[in-house]
Amino acid sequence: MKIFILLLFFVLSLYAKTEGKEWLRPATVPQPADNKLTPERIELGKLLFFDVRLSRDDTISCATCHHPKRGWTDLAPSPTAIGFEGRKGPRNSPTLLNTAYNSRHFWDGRAKTLEDQAVGPMQADVEMNMPLSILLPKLQKIQGYQKLFKDAYPKEGLNEVTLAKAIASFERTILSGISPFDKYIQGEKEAMTLEQKRGFELFKGKAHCIECHETFNFTDGSFHNIGLKKGELQDAELGRYNVKNRASWYGAIKTPTLRDVTKSAPYFHDGSVNSLKEASDICADGGRYTEGVRNKSDSMKNRNLTPQEKSHVAAFLEALEAPDLDIQIPKTFPQ
Amino acid sequence: MKRLLFSLLSLTTLFSAEYVVDQKNKTFLPGELSVHVGDIITFKNSDPFSHNAYTDEEENEFDVGMQKSGTKKSVKVKGAHDFNIECAIHPNMLIKVKVDK
Repeated sequence: MKIFILLLFFVLSLYAKTEGKEWLRPATVPQPADNKLTPERIELGKLLFFDVRLSRDDTISCATCHHPKRGWTDLAPSPTAIGFEGRKGPRNSPTLLNTAYNSRHFWDGRAKTLEDQAVGPMQADVEMNMPLSILLPKLQKIQGYQKLFKDAYPKEGLNEVTLAKAIASFERTILSGISPFDKYIQGEKEAMTLEQKRGFELFKGKAHCIECHETFNFTDGSFHNIGLKKGELQDAELGRYNVKNRASWYGAIKTPTLRDVTKSAPYFHDGSVNSLKEASDICADGGRYTEGVRNKSDSMKNRNLTPQEKSHVAAFLEALEAPDLDIQIPKTFPQ
Repeated sequence: MKRLLFSLLSLTTLFSAEYVVDQKNKTFLPGELSVHVGDIITFKNSDPFSHNAYTDEEENEFDVGMQKSGTKKSVKVKGAHDFNIECAIHPNMLIKVKVDK
């Protein structure tokens, strides 16, 4: 009997040690076989990411809309991205935090890899407006970049593929830090407030947030029409339906991570909400509109949370904020 | 002639197999299938929310549409090429289907 009790205690202690591990960021970052991370590739990608010469008029870099000081979203907060000559983009700039773990990229998921995604914004006329037919010769004339590409991709040189690979390599290093929630999961039970702990229980339970915002990255990468607009949708509002006219993709948008969500206002793909509490409440209520929304996700239901419970959920989201990554923004660029 | 055709069709149906794929915890179970042309794949949804199995691969292209919790939907294997099935809502869900010749 004693042996049985000891064995039971041992199994329970093992369980206690592994409980909650799904909420911790994996030790390794996914990376494709033909673009493994190296210091040379990351450094090159970082320079390209912050270099305004990748835009048509030398004023916009990737970081303009994905800045480390703003949760990797717009440096100047705006409902939708502001690009070349002040042109308005169709959607809110999504965070790049933990994007290495996503299986689809952009709000509508039109890119399957980070490499596919990386050269899209620089060519878009409302973003950096820089055709590759102009950009590549421009970069090839910069001796400093020629050398860096040769060091990073010795057999490939400087071309569209390696440009995408280098930027994707840097993006794979944009990872979330240790938040109060991570400390809590690792055993520091006082790292979250009582309100935040209650919020976490609601998040997993009554509020059903976990149905889409699951695991360490607080997203399952799924696509949903969350009911922000009723009636017929137009253009960018159509979401994944723009990729293919599949009925279940009408108005469907990728579930974003909630890591560092406090830093990335305004919220939702249309940037229509400024406060995190309001965004959280809209989700808890089952969307902005409960009727008249075509293809509304059945995960978006009114969960009948009390005002106090809604406050707890919003408080929990604040526990996902970690200190900024120690990223040294380049001050000089290859010449 | 009509009778002969009908008999042949019945034989095909008789020898086709049905494979049930469960959709549970945002996972297709099983994750791999070996089938023959003419076999039926039935999707069961055991999750409390919708799924949408589809493939855009030639010969076997299908889209079961939004499938509510607790329901079943079936498709027939039409082509002899191997293909992958995904969920349109949860793109991390994947089944690899091998079509035996």
